[in-house]
Amino acid sequence: MDLKELYRERRGRFMGSLLPYVGYIIQSGVAMVFLFVLIAFSAWYTALLGNPPAGIPIRWIMFALLVPAAVHSSFRTYLQSPDTIFLLPQGHRMKEYFQPAWVNGVVWKVLRLAFVLITLWPLYIRTEEAPKLLSATAMLLLGVKLLSSYGFWREQTFVSGSASRAFSLLRWAAGGLIISAWLWQPAGKGLIFIGLLTAAYVAALSVPPRHAVPWEKLIATEKNQGARALMILGWFVDVPGREQRVYPRRILAGWGGGISWRPETAYRYLLTKSFARGDIFGIVMRMGILSLLLNWWNRSSLMGSAIYLFFLFVIGIQLSALRKLHNESFWLTVYPLPEGTRGSNTVDFVFRMLLISAVITGLPFLAAAGERPLPAAGTILSGVLMAYLFKNYLSRKAARLEDEDL
Amino acid sequence: MSSAPVLQITGLNGGYSLNRPVLHDVSLQVQPGEMVGLIGLNGAGKSTTMKHILGLMSPHKGEITVQGRTRDSDPGRYHSALSFVPESPLLYEEMTVREHIEFTARAYGVDRKDYESRSSHLASLFHMEDKMDSLSGHLSKGMKQKVMIMCAFVARPALYVIDEPFLGLDPLGIRSLLDFMLELKKGGSSILLSSHILSTIENYCDRFIVLHRGQVIAQGTLQEMTSAAGRQGLSLEQLFYELVQGGK
Repeated sequence: MDLKELYRERRGRFMGSLLPYVGYIIQSGVAMVFLFVLIAFSAWYTALLGNPPAGIPIRWIMFALLVPAAVHSSFRTYLQSPDTIFLLPQGHRMKEYFQPAWVNGVVWKVLRLAFVLITLWPLYIRTEEAPKLLSATAMLLLGVKLLSSYGFWREQTFVSGSASRAFSLLRWAAGGLIISAWLWQPAGKGLIFIGLLTAAYVAALSVPPRHAVPWEKLIATEKNQGARALMILGWFVDVPGREQRVYPRRILAGWGGGISWRPETAYRYLLTKSFARGDIFGIVMRMGILSLLLNWWNRSSLMGSAIYLFFLFVIGIQLSALRKLHNESFWLTVYPLPEGTRGSNTVDFVFRMLLISAVITGLPFLAAAGERPLPAAGTILSGVLMAYLFKNYLSRKAARLEDEDL
Repeated sequence: MSSAPVLQITGLNGGYSLNRPVLHDVSLQVQPGEMVGLIGLNGAGKSTTMKHILGLMSPHKGEITVQGRTRDSDPGRYHSALSFVPESPLLYEEMTVREHIEFTARAYGVDRKDYESRSSHLASLFHMEDKMDSLSGHLSKGMKQKVMIMCAFVARPALYVIDEPFLGLDPLGIRSLLDFMLELKKGGSSILLSSHILSTIENYCDRFIVLHRGQVIAQGTLQEMTSAAGRQGLSLEQLFYELVQGGK
């Protein structure tokens, strides 16, 4: 059996399944909005480079953008559940199968890292008092990327789940420390620290017991990766329902319990639970926190209002994906849910969440309301208006779906 | 028993494709307070019949009524009158056992107090008290099957459609399920049960319907069927074997 060829075939099949959607992505309004935002960002960034503000915390900006780009790692293995039976006899040869997965995973992420570095570099050399060399920084980041990818792969093979989680934290800590040492310390001193830290991290990775091939873990990870790819596609076009990754989030276990006890709101109960333990919640939270920070930083300028609305729009797109979450649910066909409540419950839920996001991420503008009350109020009102626009859009979609079902 | 059947299927032709129907002129009924065993070989059409009852497939010909209503005439009341236990558990991974039961109770409009008492009774009956707050993805297959059964039983509709419920259940679970089905039956509920474990259902079902190649080849009590076949005294398993071998 040619395992490399099998991997290539599976990858080709997955890519082929995405191709029919490309045309729709190009046509979709969301793609246009992203393009517009990209052009607006380019114009703003060019202006910023022409006149960079004094005292800009450039090392922190570099740190905040380079650490995720350098440390985040993932691989698409395209493994499937039947592989635990049919590929099991090939276990000793699976390195051949995983090799292209590893290369693909690293190459694309190195390109992403290079893009972030090249975008940031002009700002860095204009604002940093003692800038490091571009080539040396690029080499160091490449090293961090390879180290993180190796660490991530090792984490997947650990027998103990808690060891995997602990080493994931260790990977982020090591990557963060290496990049901060490079940015804040003189090159020589920094490199000694980086060398010692790397050696210690690599040595630590060899300690926990490992599986030769962690079949079940890799299959579960692959399922999540595939679902995430479909979720991103779902921002632009309607794609078939997908399973989402589940996080226990015990702190949110009680959420939904207070929903009124009627068949008309039963779907809202399911949706609340799915949202509370799904990956959309995590994405929305991260977006919300990033938006809060950027809004606070830009609370006294029009750019702040634009950032606020942009993040709110992206949060709205993410929340809108909830309407596809249980598209193919068996029980929703069998249970006596009153007609039309699925659509109306989803619209209400997304609207509430978006309204809450609009108010919370708009709070920094209230701090600036004393100096510029009208722009602050206008910004928050625009956010509320956007929540209503999403509500209208989703209501129309839900009505159209019901018409099609009839 | 009352003369108005809870489930009535008349002249049902159906299947996945119009050109190749799986079911041929299937007619059967389940009376209130009756437990009926639907038996047949793999591919005989048991699950397809159940899918038609659930409204997952549309009949090519014939009619299905639950408490006198077709699905098209009143989908809300049609679905409220039945609950289903599938052969393979179908659970939301993001919900705990308790939340599954609560969602079902909400969807069926079960009163909150009734839900609480039924839910704790079912948890104790199926030895699931310490798993009630576990996410469904962390359960064994047998436990998942128990969750399906608990969800169906919390609703208390007029008709239960149960497809191969014993798969994956431990002996205690099988006993709890059978005892509870008898309890429901005494309370007036009707049960249409499909199973391959004929020696078990022989003692629990009031009547049997034998499906073979999409057709009903025999139905009635065990005594009626053995008499009709001229083979009095046979067990359900022996009779079934003779019926399907004869139909080869």
